[in-house]
Amino acid sequence: MVAVYGVLLGAFVLDFAGHRRLAICCLLLSFALGLWLFLWEIYSPDYGFRMPWLQVESVAVSLAAVS
Amino acid sequence: MLGLDRMAALFDRLVLLAMFLILAAILTAALVMQYAFGELPCPLCLPQRYAMFGCCFGLAQQLRFDGSERGSGLSLLFAVVLLVIAVRQTLLDLFPRPGHEYVGSAILGIHMPVWGALIAVALILGFALRFAIFGGMRAVSVPAVASLRRLTQALFIYVALLCAVNFISAIVQCGLGECHTMGYSLLK
Repeated sequence: MVAVYGVLLGAFVLDFAGHRRLAICCLLLSFALGLWLFLWEIYSPDYGFRMPWLQVESVAVSLAAVS
Repeated sequence: MLGLDRMAALFDRLVLLAMFLILAAILTAALVMQYAFGELPCPLCLPQRYAMFGCCFGLAQQLRFDGSERGSGLSLLFAVVLLVIAVRQTLLDLFPRPGHEYVGSAILGIHMPVWGALIAVALILGFALRFAIFGGMRAVSVPAVASLRRLTQALFIYVALLCAVNFISAIVQCGLGECHTMGYSLLK
């Protein structure tokens, strides 16, 4: 997260300093980092979030198995 | 005809500036909620803020108009990212269960991730309408545009400062690793 914000801040600073192309490169790099972080949030086996309906479905399946 | 073109150019810039102003206000409100009301941003809230900063960057680029629509493209890119993350979080918390309640307090009865999705849709809709009505920017000289440029620059500096505060805040909250904390990890 720090890297994403750091590169984004770099883009703002570079743009302010007049290096527009470099700033846009920085912005696109932060875009890629942000996307990677988001995908990691979703798919991490430790921290990845499951979708609620999948959990509800598995609860329903286990309840059916019990009864 | 030139008068109509000038009016359209001015109105187009005003629409972009309004979008920029609203996003800056939302980002300010997020920081106020964080520091004044102690509402710590969640792991998916920080990327949503980041997407809004990206939109602001694109809007500032577009308001400085260099003959291209690159700024609008960048803003749209980040608006789509905002929409994806916000919808993801909304769906995640849609079915309340322990550890997955909506984070933070509701504003006008709507929680933050739902607001995030609405903001993203409003941004995408705004750009779509802008292209449909104005057909992109016109290189027409309008006296008022100079003062709009100064306002854009001031707003750009303000948003850059907000980004710096968020950067420092992310360091204090997350450290150098991933951001799964219920407090400021460097202050523990």
